[in-house]
Amino acid sequence: MGIITAIGDSVAGNRLALKEGRSGINTSMDLFPSKYAGLLPFGIVHHSTAALKEKLQITAPGVTRTSLLALHAFEEAVRDSNLSSTGIAATGTAFIGASTVGGMCLTDELYGDAQEADKGSAYLESYDSASVQLFIQQRYGMKGFINTINTACSSSANAIMNGAQLINQGWAKRAIVGGVDSLAKFTVNGFHSLHILSHDLCTPFDINRKGLNLGEGAAFVVLEKEEDIDGKKVYAELTGYANSNDAFHPSSLSEQGDGPFLSMQGALKMAGLQTSDIDFINAHGTGTENNDEVESRAMLRLFGTAPAFASTKANVGHTLGAAGAVEAVYSILNIAGQELYPQLNFTTPIPATGLVPVKEYGKKTIRHVMSNSFGFGGNCTSLVFSKA
Amino acid sequence: MLYIHHHTCLSPQLTHPGIDLETLQSPIDNKLKAIEPAYEGIPPGMLRRMGTAIRLGVGAALNLLKTSNPTNGIIIGTAKGGMEDCIRFLNQIVQYEEGVLAPGSFVQSTTNAIAGTLGLMSGNKGYNITHTHRGLAFENAVIDAILQLHDHPDHTYLLGGVDEISSFNYNLERLSGAYKTETVDSDNFYALQSKGSIAGEAAAMFLVNGKEEGSGYRIEGISTLHSDDDEAVKEWTEDFLSEYNATPSLLLSGENGDQRHLHFYENAENLLPPGISIARFKHMCGEFPTTTAFAVWFAGTILQSKHIPAHAIKKQGENAVYKSILIYNNFKGIQHSLMLVSE
Repeated sequence: MGIITAIGDSVAGNRLALKEGRSGINTSMDLFPSKYAGLLPFGIVHHSTAALKEKLQITAPGVTRTSLLALHAFEEAVRDSNLSSTGIAATGTAFIGASTVGGMCLTDELYGDAQEADKGSAYLESYDSASVQLFIQQRYGMKGFINTINTACSSSANAIMNGAQLINQGWAKRAIVGGVDSLAKFTVNGFHSLHILSHDLCTPFDINRKGLNLGEGAAFVVLEKEEDIDGKKVYAELTGYANSNDAFHPSSLSEQGDGPFLSMQGALKMAGLQTSDIDFINAHGTGTENNDEVESRAMLRLFGTAPAFASTKANVGHTLGAAGAVEAVYSILNIAGQELYPQLNFTTPIPATGLVPVKEYGKKTIRHVMSNSFGFGGNCTSLVFSKA
Repeated sequence: MLYIHHHTCLSPQLTHPGIDLETLQSPIDNKLKAIEPAYEGIPPGMLRRMGTAIRLGVGAALNLLKTSNPTNGIIIGTAKGGMEDCIRFLNQIVQYEEGVLAPGSFVQSTTNAIAGTLGLMSGNKGYNITHTHRGLAFENAVIDAILQLHDHPDHTYLLGGVDEISSFNYNLERLSGAYKTETVDSDNFYALQSKGSIAGEAAAMFLVNGKEEGSGYRIEGISTLHSDDDEAVKEWTEDFLSEYNATPSLLLSGENGDQRHLHFYENAENLLPPGISIARFKHMCGEFPTTTAFAVWFAGTILQSKHIPAHAIKKQGENAVYKSILIYNNFKGIQHSLMLVSE
């Protein structure tokens, strides 16, 4: 596993911050050129783009912050898996990434390049979401199946699903899967125009929630088949996944939450589990009026009594295309550490559902964790990770 | 194996409604823009808010979603989605200095808006995904459909590829040297000895499942590769041909007039038996990341009509009966794909 977020540059750093209940969200935003810097809270990775380049030894022109964050997490994941450069490049190694903003973090450069001009910037081929995967593919000379997925905020959960299916059906021997997004003037203004950015720290599942905080980050995990484990370190098993669509509205969920209900139900069914088998849900829990109530209803509808659950968005913000992979890493950490992390900023439950997230750190027997990711366009995906 | 039961294509040619591929539509100002039909079944208010890519995608797909038994999911490949809306929102950000903005263009600008809108309009709550891997976005959608059908053999999926020309992505591509500067028409499309191609756009949609009965044609094999090395691409092509024991009667080549990448297409021609026929399709649709969706539709149309328009033929081989067509394409000399489309 590899991860970089507002609360740490590594899996170990993220775990420690989750355990200690630390948030990386604040308004000290000297790294981000936007009118909203210093006004709205964001979950920013605390390295400048130049510092990331230096750390990763990237000198080539046209490499975006999004690609750098992805490479940082990718390198940790392959290091953690003891995957050699030959192994990374092998035909049997698939690589599936996901991003919503891609290189559009360079919102002002894109604006310039898109206007009539005689000479473009160094970033002409770096704006789309595929540019991230193509950058890493070229760096490692990867010869296997390479893909990029964009289903908005559920993107990297679908990248994980895509990789698992490729392995299960023999298209790949292993898959490096995950996602990335960096803060962009584009998404900040987009979410602001929808009036779902909170001016305070986000408070998922709280009655007084006022919206989400945007974050940035990247996470990748390495998947292999059970028969190929051969003494390697194993954190958890991916036992279930399902993708469904809410088919209700371009940017909000239906009241009854059919999409979330169906994705959770499908993942549970695939894992061959009963509702009572789920020990914890890493909820999508963005802190918006719409998401948290609908997700709560959908949990109650499927589970009757909701399992222990929490949202980690109050720690790192909503990392959009990276969120599914970031939260997959957190779900796997729940299993690997047999522990639950406290959700921050929660005081009072939503009256209609009365659900209270996990508020204290604690050791617990964790066999199965569900991770939810829901996005614009009605795109809902749930994953189930189990103790191996 | 993937069986195609119905298909619809909105393209710069006369492909919908009614197909006339003999009357070749030429580029205008070095652009091959899609001919848009009178869109029926899309509420006018909704249609007005849609950017080109969403309009093309929804327009090509809606009647397919109606003809099918319940469709179990929607799998779309698009490199850019609605770039037009994306830049419209970007312009607002700059113009109003991050002030109070209307969210419409932002919501429409997400690359998954085509698949999302189709799910919404058809009430389809099944699998819904958007592959955006640039020049292999459609191929990865095809592979995804094969994956879903393996796990759910009774399902039927809507599979499609869409990309638009927007004034903005046109500018990005132009600045990066993707387009020719001299005037291109249908007659000199492949003849100009220069760099670059011309911009195009299309949406091709397919209803696919695992059932041979009632199908029109099938995608028998698919493979993708990232490489800029001739030898590696040749080896991969040979492996594909032997893996599928493929003896295609026609090569449908993605040649696009860009002299920089012609060698890859010539290599593919030389790896196949000398008697094979060779046809091309990009003078019909132009160049964009998901042209292979148009190519599959064209291959299917050739197989079903048992006819190729003369303007598409590069070399007439020994065999004029086409039962199996190999599509080879590369995007910018890096992203390669092979698809075997058969009766």
